[in-house]
Amino acid sequence: MQHFILLIIGILSLSSCVAVKEYDKVYLNDEEMDLATKSLERFETNFHVYREAAAGANGGKTGGGCGCN
Amino acid sequence: MKKLGSILFCGLISWLGFSQGNDGEYVKKVLEAPEVELLYSYYGQDGNNAAVTGGEGTEKLTDMTPTIIVSIPIEEDNILTLDAGISAYTSASSSNINPFDGNKTASPWAASSGASRSDVLTYFHPTFTHSSKDRNNIYSGNIAVSAEYDYFSLGFGGGYTHLMNEKNTELGISGQVYLDTYNPQYPIELRDGFFDNRITGNGTYSPLFHEFDKLNRNSYSVSLNVSQIITKRFQASLSLDLIFQEGLLSTPHQRVYLQDRNDFFIEGFQLADNVEKLPSNRFKVPIGGRISYYLNELIGLRGYFRYYYDDWGVMAYTGSLEIPVKISDKFTVYPMYRYYTQTASDYFYPKEAALSTYEYYTSDYDLSAFDSNQYGLGVTYKDIFTQGKVWKFGLKSISFRCNQYERTTGLSASIFELGAKFIMD
Repeated sequence: MQHFILLIIGILSLSSCVAVKEYDKVYLNDEEMDLATKSLERFETNFHVYREAAAGANGGKTGGGCGCN
Repeated sequence: MKKLGSILFCGLISWLGFSQGNDGEYVKKVLEAPEVELLYSYYGQDGNNAAVTGGEGTEKLTDMTPTIIVSIPIEEDNILTLDAGISAYTSASSSNINPFDGNKTASPWAASSGASRSDVLTYFHPTFTHSSKDRNNIYSGNIAVSAEYDYFSLGFGGGYTHLMNEKNTELGISGQVYLDTYNPQYPIELRDGFFDNRITGNGTYSPLFHEFDKLNRNSYSVSLNVSQIITKRFQASLSLDLIFQEGLLSTPHQRVYLQDRNDFFIEGFQLADNVEKLPSNRFKVPIGGRISYYLNELIGLRGYFRYYYDDWGVMAYTGSLEIPVKISDKFTVYPMYRYYTQTASDYFYPKEAALSTYEYYTSDYDLSAFDSNQYGLGVTYKDIFTQGKVWKFGLKSISFRCNQYERTTGLSASIFELGAKFIMD
């Protein structure tokens, strides 16, 4: 948990360095570079939730549904 | 009637999509026009460690999932997203909940042709999102309903996101609750009244099994998210989830064979000593991070890592990398790789390793120690002018992904995903 808090502080401290203006976000707004998972990736996330013990922190489901096959 | 319904539906989303602000002044909408996304996936797997047959047996499974997502702008600040789909699967291991109802010799290595061989999961997941006028505050609420033959899930949740520092920093918190109910399908030999004169073994077959009292499974999660634009080409995010589950966390049809119990068979199929027994609560803490770096006009990098811990003894690490390469204005290809490793749960035992005196045991290899590697390739076609038309919708993009997944336990899987996004003219 301490590491997570330190990471958040680290990321937030970067915000004081520079604020990228809206007109400079052409690369960042490219859909291919989106930080969020793409809607098509949901099926992979689903089967990872079923076939692996770890779930969460990836925008996927953290409960709901059996996933027992 | 159908025609009238189509006209009304079309009229409704047109009105919702193109309404102006009440004062007549144009306000840029959070979503300019209704969007429809059609998704389809085909998944196939095979392996030798089926949990239904106690850790040994075919894991062959295929699943097809068509899905539709409709996003409808409501006035300037709101979006209603309707997400619905069905997941139709056939599973060799599930068919062996009752391995004796087919016309083949019963075996954990062959599918039975019985009723449990296939099932359909249907789900509906509407989400409502509201953005403040300055677009710096976003509120959302959702409902999630899914049903299959032996399982029903009802979920709801909400979230809040705050953007600051000229939208360079984003802080989010969300919560989700799922209230699930099992309709357990126990292995056939453990059900009341089961009798078969073909049973072979030393002594009398008398499993330890007792039916579960509580059939509910509740999941509660809280997610914290922070993302930050670092340069014109580089952004990163960090997520922390706290997940708590309680209730029936065992899967009622997963057999366990115990070391200190005699073995009994019908044909080539070993009869269960019990079903898996797992604690009635579980606490999970995943921490994930993402980076997105635009290397140059042609190549980008999308990275993901995750650390996971739970109180069942599982610790896991995930890392993945995707490299979008623009081969033209319209086409992007992206090779991808994912690595995953986990330790075994404290309650995992291979076939006939657990003792009947243990409080908890399972032979589900999804809870064993393993590494996995996933390799894949994706292609996206994008048309910003939406020249391709289907009815009143212009084609915005088509995407295809295929991935091969290999687990060190021997499980192998392939997944193919296809998606098309349309925007209403």
